[in-house]
Amino acid sequence: MKLMSKIENVVRNFYFAKRSGIKTTSELDKRIIDDALPAYEQSLKTQSASVQPNIWRIIMQNRITKYGSAAAVLLVVLYVLTGNSGRTVWAMEQAIEAVKDYKAVYMEGTSREGAFECWGRTDDTGEQSKDFIVKISNGIVAWVKDGSSFAYVPSENKVYYEKAVTTGFSQWLGSELLEMLGSIKNTKVMYGKDPDTGRERVTIMSSFIDVTGPKSFIIEFDYETKLAVSLKQWDNMDRSGQPAFHAAKIVFYKEITDSLFAVNIPGNPTYIEKPLTIPDENIGLLSNPEYGISIKGLSEQQACKKILTDMYQAVIAGDIAAIKKLSPVTEILDDEFIRSFIIKTGKKDQIVELVSIGEIIKKGHSKLGSIAAVPVVYKRKDGVKMEDKMIVQFRNLGGELSCVIHGPYGISQQYK
Amino acid sequence: MLEDKILVWKLKRGSSDALRRIYEKYKDDLLALAIALSNDRTVAEDVLHDVFVSFAEYAVKLQLRTSLKSYLLSCVVNRIRSLHSIKSRQNEQVYDAEDIEHDCNEPVRLAILTEQSKLVELALSELPYQQREVIVLHINSQIRFKDIAEMQGESINTIQSRYRYGLEKLKLQLNGKV
Repeated sequence: MKLMSKIENVVRNFYFAKRSGIKTTSELDKRIIDDALPAYEQSLKTQSASVQPNIWRIIMQNRITKYGSAAAVLLVVLYVLTGNSGRTVWAMEQAIEAVKDYKAVYMEGTSREGAFECWGRTDDTGEQSKDFIVKISNGIVAWVKDGSSFAYVPSENKVYYEKAVTTGFSQWLGSELLEMLGSIKNTKVMYGKDPDTGRERVTIMSSFIDVTGPKSFIIEFDYETKLAVSLKQWDNMDRSGQPAFHAAKIVFYKEITDSLFAVNIPGNPTYIEKPLTIPDENIGLLSNPEYGISIKGLSEQQACKKILTDMYQAVIAGDIAAIKKLSPVTEILDDEFIRSFIIKTGKKDQIVELVSIGEIIKKGHSKLGSIAAVPVVYKRKDGVKMEDKMIVQFRNLGGELSCVIHGPYGISQQYK
Repeated sequence: MLEDKILVWKLKRGSSDALRRIYEKYKDDLLALAIALSNDRTVAEDVLHDVFVSFAEYAVKLQLRTSLKSYLLSCVVNRIRSLHSIKSRQNEQVYDAEDIEHDCNEPVRLAILTEQSKLVELALSELPYQQREVIVLHINSQIRFKDIAEMQGESINTIQSRYRYGLEKLKLQLNGKV
């Protein structure tokens, strides 16, 4: 036995000495990276065809009827990846100022599901999508009413619904979104003229990665009005192939009539509530035992209250490390982004007070275990009260009970 | 481990920076393993290239059942296995033992160590490939028997037997010489 371990040591020493001299050369590194990156980007393009959404997260191309991606769609609202912050040359502030007065928008164009037209209206804050309806050429109609989302599928004669705003613009085409676009480092601005109208146009091109995959887009603004007039969005980084979403026409309105959001569904469809789910691809990070909190001895309701209280207090305190520990998805975001778009230091929509945490409103299951949606009411710096619905993931890792926050369930709504 | 999980998570979401970071993190380990198994730096570099490009190509669909490091190492092992030139190269000592770095400034001691390294390398190269593979993975790449067994689709007993037989052969060849 002694001799065997002596031989092991001889071999160990041999490899140890040998390894210290083994390094890749810079030429080899370059050759490998030069070949690996295009292969990787090609695979992203292929993959993106099966991944959902667009920058506006209109769920139309996501087969509203299918279970699933609502949480992912909405997660993007808060958790968008960008590179380092950097202001674009174009005065984005002018466009930001221009859209402030407009609380409604009409769009028409094409998506993977077919041609569409949609109407959207923001809430009183001018920052959150509230009323929304989209009609697609395949007969699908999706709408939001009283804080719930519905999707009528004529081929099934069914209406799928959930008690959260999971349809619509997760980020209103307003000042906050434009600020975000302006902070993306690779955003490019170009000037030109519309050959049809002769009007001057400003075109913004950018790309980023969020939790649903790579995204790139082109938004065209009218130079004079500073309002967006068209947009295209691709599920890849280089704007190749057909866009996943193309709004060829965008018209802003200061006010629109309620009747535009009225829905008349023919026949007598069956109403089916969508189950609460989270995307499988987020399970890996959510399952890491280094994140979250122990919930030993707590009921699910008590656990939700504890972790959500910790989370909102961390946001109020600007404690980025705590935010990341409680909500593992934020781990991929850089600190500057978290400061700007979650903590929102100094902005009027900065969270300043946690008002209440409600009872669990819905339960579901992920591959990791049970999940629950819980309403949270908070007050912003400008005094406005908002309500989030947050999804908490429960875990049993090696006998240790714990939980983490997955992210928002639906779009934040003004609390009244 | 945590960093790897995040890297894989980012990678699956289109981060080319994550791809670069994974390469930087494991390139030397993978190359060392490839060299230890193939005894040929040129072959080893090609293996590293092929493994990593293939990894990049399928990264988005990656489903890891082991650690990222184990996964990449097993890719190297599989790639080298599939190269039929292994046998013919087993006896080649492409690696110059003088290249081995020893923490020793005394010329006589250095000469002894260099000579010993040559003997160990020769003895290792004469082992059956499967036994050498287990020894390389366990000692050089510090992979546990359980993980090697998983990587190779064998029972842990088989892996431990290969390791033991390999060491016994080394013992016979090196006994008294090192």
